[in-house]
Amino acid sequence: MTGLDVVFVLVGLLTAAGAVLTVTSKNLVHAALALAVTLAGIAGVFLVLHADFLALVQLVVYVGAVAVLFLFGLMLTRAPIGREALDSQNRGLALAVSGGLFVVLSTLIVLAFGDVRVDAMTGPGIDVIGIAIFAVWVLPFELLSMLLLAALIGAIVLARREDGESGEEAEVTRIEVGDPPINESDGPPAEVAGDGQAELPAGSGGGGQA
Amino acid sequence: MAQTSLPGTGLLKGLAVTVKHLFKRPATLMYPYERNELAPRTRGVIALMDENCTVCMLCARECPDWCIYIDSHKETVPPAKEGGRARTRNVLDRFAIDFSLCMYCGICVEVCPFDALWWSPEFEYSEYTMDALLHEKDKLREWADTVPPPPALDEGAEAPAEVTEAIAKAEKELEAAAQKEADKAAAAEAATTEAKAGGSGPKKADEPKVAAGEIDQETYDALIAEGKSERIARSKAKAAYVKKEKARLKAEADAGGGDAEAAPTPKAADIKVEAGQIDQETYDALIAEGKTERMARAKAKAAWVKKEKARLAAEAESAAGAGAPAGEEAEPPSPTDAAGSDQAPSTDAPAEEPAATRKLGDVHVEGTGEIDQETYDALIAEGKSERIARAKAKAAWVKKAKQAKLDEEGGA
Amino acid sequence: MTVLTSTTALAQAPSILDVGDGVVLPILLKVALVLGLFFVVPLVGGYLEHKVMGRMQNRRGPVEAGPFGSLQLVADGIKFIQKEDIIPRAADKPMFALAPGLALVPALLVFLVIPLGPGVFAVDLELGLFYALAITSISVLGILLGGWASANKFSLIGGLRAGAQLIAYELPLIITAITVAVMAGTLSLVGIVEAQANFTLPGLEGFNLWFVFPQIVGFAIFFVAAMAELSRPPFDMPIGDSELVFGYMTEYTGIKFAMFLLTEYAGMITMSALMVVLFLGGWQILPGVATPGCEGAAGIMSCDPIGIAISVLVTLAKIMGLVFLMVWARVAYPRLREDQLQRISWLVLVPLSLANLAFVTILTVVL
Repeated sequence: MTGLDVVFVLVGLLTAAGAVLTVTSKNLVHAALALAVTLAGIAGVFLVLHADFLALVQLVVYVGAVAVLFLFGLMLTRAPIGREALDSQNRGLALAVSGGLFVVLSTLIVLAFGDVRVDAMTGPGIDVIGIAIFAVWVLPFELLSMLLLAALIGAIVLARREDGESGEEAEVTRIEVGDPPINESDGPPAEVAGDGQAELPAGSGGGGQA
Repeated sequence: MAQTSLPGTGLLKGLAVTVKHLFKRPATLMYPYERNELAPRTRGVIALMDENCTVCMLCARECPDWCIYIDSHKETVPPAKEGGRARTRNVLDRFAIDFSLCMYCGICVEVCPFDALWWSPEFEYSEYTMDALLHEKDKLREWADTVPPPPALDEGAEAPAEVTEAIAKAEKELEAAAQKEADKAAAAEAATTEAKAGGSGPKKADEPKVAAGEIDQETYDALIAEGKSERIARSKAKAAYVKKEKARLKAEADAGGGDAEAAPTPKAADIKVEAGQIDQETYDALIAEGKTERMARAKAKAAWVKKEKARLAAEAESAAGAGAPAGEEAEPPSPTDAAGSDQAPSTDAPAEEPAATRKLGDVHVEGTGEIDQETYDALIAEGKSERIARAKAKAAWVKKAKQAKLDEEGGA
Repeated sequence: MTVLTSTTALAQAPSILDVGDGVVLPILLKVALVLGLFFVVPLVGGYLEHKVMGRMQNRRGPVEAGPFGSLQLVADGIKFIQKEDIIPRAADKPMFALAPGLALVPALLVFLVIPLGPGVFAVDLELGLFYALAITSISVLGILLGGWASANKFSLIGGLRAGAQLIAYELPLIITAITVAVMAGTLSLVGIVEAQANFTLPGLEGFNLWFVFPQIVGFAIFFVAAMAELSRPPFDMPIGDSELVFGYMTEYTGIKFAMFLLTEYAGMITMSALMVVLFLGGWQILPGVATPGCEGAAGIMSCDPIGIAISVLVTLAKIMGLVFLMVWARVAYPRLREDQLQRISWLVLVPLSLANLAFVTILTVVL
C-alpha cells in the first residue's frame, strides 16, 4: 500500500461521505454544498489516478460551475436558513432508482474492466487527450455537444411555458410598446387582456412603458 | 458635447484627471504635528463666565439635548432703600455641560442674556471615557479665558454700554462724596453767616474737548517694546494721548483764566475719563491672587477709572482753592444722593437703623467663586469628595464674608 | 518551431502530485517561499493601493504605522485578530465559519504555479494555466456560502451578485486565456513565458514581441474580466456599499473579515501575475532583452543567482504596475449598475473574446 493508495482511500471516503450527506441532509443548501464536496472529491480521485486534466475539468465544470449554479438557483428561489425541511416524501422510490443504477453501473464496470490491471500510474498528456477527442472521437464529441445544446434549449422552452401549451393560462398584464396609456375614460383594459396571446417581445428589457 | 470624440475618450479623460492628482501635493494637514490657523471665533467649546450668570435657566431650557445642568440657591439681598422690600437673588452652585450630549448648536450661547456663555476656540478636550466629558463650572470658567477679546471698536465709536455704566456709577459715588464735603462746609458756614439764596450753581467746566483717534507715539513705542500686542498698545497709546491732551488744555485754561474768575470746581461727574486704561497695580495683585486674566483686566479697568477720577477731582479741588465753597449752594443732605451710592452705607446711611437688627441673610456679599481654604482643607482631610468640599468651602466663605461685613457695620 | 521545442520540454513536466525525486528540502523551501509570498506580496499590493488611492484623492494615505505607513496592513491584521468574532444568531454557524476559508484557500493554491523567475515557482505544471483558472473558480463557492449563511438579506443579495458576476466574467477570462495558450502552444505558465521570449510576428522575424502587442484586445478583455472576477471597483456591485451595506461581508468581523479582505488582495496579485505571465513576458525585462546573468532560451532561462534575483524583481515590478492600473481604474471610475455589468460581459466581452479566439486559432492553423 503506497502513499497514493492511502490518499485514494481518504479521498474516496470523503467523496462517499459527501454523497451520503447530499441525500440525507435536511437543508437544501447543505445538500448542495455536500454535493460540491462530492464533486471535488471525484476530482481528487482523478488526481490520484494521474488524470490531471480530467481532475481540473471536473473542478472547473462541476465545482466551479454546476455546484455554483445549484447554490445560485437555490438562493434565488428558496434558500431556507435553519431547520425548514424540504422533503418530497419519495425516499423509497429514490432508493430504488439509485440502488438500481448502482447495481447496473458497477456490474457494467466489473464486466468491462474486471480483469484489466493498471500498473503504470501515468496518465495520458493533454496532447493525447486532445487528439483522442478531436481526431478519433470527433463525431461522438460533436453529437454530445449537440445533445447538450438540445437539452439546454429544451430546458429554456420548458421554463418559459408559453401560454396555451401547458394547460393553465397565465394572467398577462403587460403593456406593449406603443399602447396608449390606459385612462379611466377609455374603459377597462380589455384590450390588454386580449393581448395576452401575443408573442413576447424579443428581449425581456424591450417592453417599455407607453 | 464632443460629438466627434472617439469612444473611450471619456474613460481616458477620467484616468488623466486622477493621475494628475497623483502628483499634486496632498491637502492633508498633519494635525498633531502641524496646526491649522483657526478662525478667531472658532466654535470649539462652550465656555462659562460664571460671574455673569444669573441662573435664569434660559440656556438649560433651550438646549435641544438637555445637556446643561444648573443648580442654584436663593439668597436674600437687603432692601436697597430704607423701608424697601428685601429682594432675593439666585446664586449659581453648579453649572455643567455634558459634551458627550452637546451637539454644538450654540443656542445656549445665543440665548444667554447676560453674556455668561461664550464660544471658545479650544477644541482639544477629548477624553477616554464618556462621562469624563461632563465638564463642571470651574473647567468651563477656564475655557472662558481662551475666548478672544472682542474686536476693537471703530475709530470714534461710543464707548460700550457696560463701560459707560461703570463710569457713571463711579461718578455718582464721587459726586456723592463731594456733595457731602460741600454740605459739611456749607453747614459750617451757615452757622456763622446767613445762607445765600439763588447762588448760581457751579458752572460746568469748559471741558476741554479732545479729539480721540490720535495716539501717543511715545506710549505706543514703549508698549510695543515691552512686547505688548499691537492692539493693546494702540488702545493704550490712544488713552494716553487723550489724557495728555486734556491735561495740557486744562493747564492752559487754568493759566489763562485763573484770575478772571474763580476756577470752577469740576464735579466728579464732569471729569471724563477715557476708559480702556487699566490699573496695573490692581491688575498685578489680582493676577497674583490667581484670578483669571480677563477678570483681572476688567476689575483693574474699573479700579483705574475710579482712581483717575478721584485724582482728577482732587487736583481740581486743590486748584480751585478755598474760595470755591462760597459759590456752592447750601443744600441739606438729600437722601437720594445718599442712596445713589450703595457701596458706602456706613457713612451715608447713619445710625437710624441699629446694626444689631440686621441679620446675616440681609447682607449681600459679592463673589461666589471664592472658597474658604481652611474649610476646604479640613473637609478634604475628612475624606469628603472634592466637589462637596468645594461647595461647602464656598458656603463657608460666604458666611464668613457676611459675618465680617456685619461686624464692620456694627462697628460703624 | 519554438512551439515545438516548448512542447517537447513539457513532456517531462510533472503532474500535480509528483514531488520530484524524493528531495524534500527544495520542496519545503518552495512551500515556504509560496507562503511567504502569499502573505507579503498582497500586503505590498494593499499598501500600494492605500497610498496611490490616497494621493489620487489628494490625501496622504497611511502615514503612522511604520516608515511612511508601510506597516498599516500589518497593524490592521493585528487589529482584526483582536476583534470579537461575532456570528449572527440566525446564521448557519458551520457554513458561516467555513466560507472565508473556502474563499481564501483557492487564492493561496494559485500561487503554487505562478512563476516569478527562472526556477522560482513551486511547481511547473503541464496544465498550469488551466489549473490556475480552475482553482480560482472555486472561490465563488465561499462567497456564495458566506452570503447565504449570514442570514442577512444584504449578504444574500451580495452573494448572489457575486455569483452571477463571477460566472459571467469567468467565460471571457478563460476564453482569452485559451487564446494565449493557442498562441503559445502550451498551457504551462513557464512555457508561455518562454514562448513569449521567442515570439515574433510573421514577416517581422528578429523582432521579439510580448503577447500584449498582438493581443491588445485580449489583454483588455482579460484585464476587465479580472477586475470583475475580483469584484474590484468599478465592478464591486457585490459589496456596493450604497445599496448593500457591504454585500456578503456585511456580517463578518475580525479575522474572518480579514480573510475575505486578504482574498481580495491575494486575488489582485494572482490575477496580475497571471496577466504578467500571459501578456507581459513574465520575468523578461523588455521584449528581446536578455536578462543579465542568464543563458539558455532567449536569454531568460538557466540563470545564476543574480539573474534570478533580477528576474524576480522584474516580475514583481510588473505585478505592482498592474496593481497600480487596477487602483487607478478604481479611483477614476464610478461603480457600474448590475445590469450594465451583465450586459458588458455577455454582450461585449464574451462575443469579442470568442471572435478573438477564432481569429487567433485560424491564424495559427494557417500560418
